[in-house]
Amino acid sequence: MKTIVRLAGIIVLLWAVGMADTAQQSQTDHAVVSFTNPAKPGTVEVDVNEGSITVRGYEGKDVIIDARWRERALTQERREIEAALTGVEEELDKEELAKIKAQAEKARGMRMLAVESMGLTIEEEDNVIQVSVEEGKRAVDLIIQVPFSTSLQLSCRDDERGVTVERVNGEIEVDTSDGPITLTNVSGPVVADSSEGEIKVVFGKITPGKPMSLSAMDGDIDITLPLDVKASLKMKTDEGQIFTDFDVQLTPSQQKREEDERKEGGGYRVTYEKVTLGLINGGGTEIQLTTYEGNIYVRKAK
Amino acid sequence: MNCERMKELMADYLAGELEEKTLAEARAHLAGCSVCREELESLSAIWTKLGVLPKEQPSAALRSRFYDMLEAYKEGLERGGIAARPLQSLSSWLSRLMPRRPAYQLALAFVLIIAGLGSGYLLNVRSRSAAQIEVAALGQEINEMRRTVAVSLLKQASPSERLMGVSWSSRVDRPGDEIITALLETLDHDSNVNVRLAAVDALYLFYGHPEVKDGLVRSLAGQTSPLVQLALIDLLVGIRERRAAEALERLIQDEKLNPKVKKRAELGLVQLS
Repeated sequence: MKTIVRLAGIIVLLWAVGMADTAQQSQTDHAVVSFTNPAKPGTVEVDVNEGSITVRGYEGKDVIIDARWRERALTQERREIEAALTGVEEELDKEELAKIKAQAEKARGMRMLAVESMGLTIEEEDNVIQVSVEEGKRAVDLIIQVPFSTSLQLSCRDDERGVTVERVNGEIEVDTSDGPITLTNVSGPVVADSSEGEIKVVFGKITPGKPMSLSAMDGDIDITLPLDVKASLKMKTDEGQIFTDFDVQLTPSQQKREEDERKEGGGYRVTYEKVTLGLINGGGTEIQLTTYEGNIYVRKAK
Repeated sequence: MNCERMKELMADYLAGELEEKTLAEARAHLAGCSVCREELESLSAIWTKLGVLPKEQPSAALRSRFYDMLEAYKEGLERGGIAARPLQSLSSWLSRLMPRRPAYQLALAFVLIIAGLGSGYLLNVRSRSAAQIEVAALGQEINEMRRTVAVSLLKQASPSERLMGVSWSSRVDRPGDEIITALLETLDHDSNVNVRLAAVDALYLFYGHPEVKDGLVRSLAGQTSPLVQLALIDLLVGIRERRAAEALERLIQDEKLNPKVKKRAELGLVQLS
């Protein structure tokens, strides 16, 4: 069974023209999608180029999607054009400027209608719901409600607001380039990475035996684990520090490399991996935490 | 030698047990006495026939008849008033097996001890080497199983399971080409950054394998995640892979490269030269 709900173009409503002047109010889309087999935990995959994703678990069987379109942010190009039209001309070359002025002349005395489609697509197949936003359209804030046991695969680029997940027990896979990742009351396994943002995860409980991994470049990694968790932590930070209030039993890193090339005219070298291995309550679920510039915080649940 | 004496010696003659002197006398007599010669010939024929007769096997009935007889004998003894206690009869039966002379007894005991020790030793050696082979086979089987499980886990949809696959791969002793290929494949094509990072860590353990260094250098050009790029640069600079210099130079040319990765690549180039 394949359900395709195309919302693109649905919101081409004439009143939108009237709304164009009340600039701060944004458009919204709303959709309810059910899984093929609601008895089985489903998966929701979201891919947003510009915007944020918020997912919340709720006591229902369907997936409820709300999309709030933001006002078009001025792109660099558009800003240059407007600057050119208002007389600050030195940034653009003459030919380009002449073209823009000619276009502006044609539209003199008229206003632009906001009739473009939003480009939101939702598809369901085999208990997997895919939500995607066409690239180059407006930035969007997606708020999605899912059954508690749903698995998530969320991808979000080029936005400061990032990804937020609350009360979801399925497997969670997240990646962002700029925004932060904030997961609260999840049980994992969680596999997340962010280039610029920080990663914060509060585990309600831990699904044992399923390895997890969180990686960041600039941001901190901050996780909160249940008191009685059995975990084996593998922590790596280049420039940051590691903090914890757990009684962590540190074991020396066994990743040692010895190289002897003296016979072949080379040198001798021993290198140690910059990995800290720590066991909580005797060790258990493997959790790898990697950050290059940030700190690592491993907290006890209060 | 007369005919009388010859007849007495005939059995020994055929068995070849005559002393040299007597043998010569017997031959001399046989040469001159046709009667004795004929008798010896007929006796020799019987002797040979006896030799080829099959050995008689005791029939199954014999065994039961023997025990019946033994039982009847014991009953007779009991009826006769001489109550033979079973233990006594057993010991007397055993003692009959025992040689009478102490020297033979000692010899028998010695032979039995040696036989016991020898067979014990043989059993032990055989079972020990069998156990060793079994343990080695088991180890190999586990390794083989790890390999299969690792490769199949690497193909799962769940990133957590693929992470487990990478972790299993790194526990395989002497990974074959299959594992190396699967890990390099994961590094190049896995959709998840964390899984690719784990693959970098696992491949670091196997960089002695000829294909690994080539694969790592090649992979650097194809990576888009700054996290994986950093991990690969760190690894290649860490193992002083000089062939990485060219890949680093090309990476630095990329305009879209993350500034931090660029900085690290430039530092790496200096360290490699």
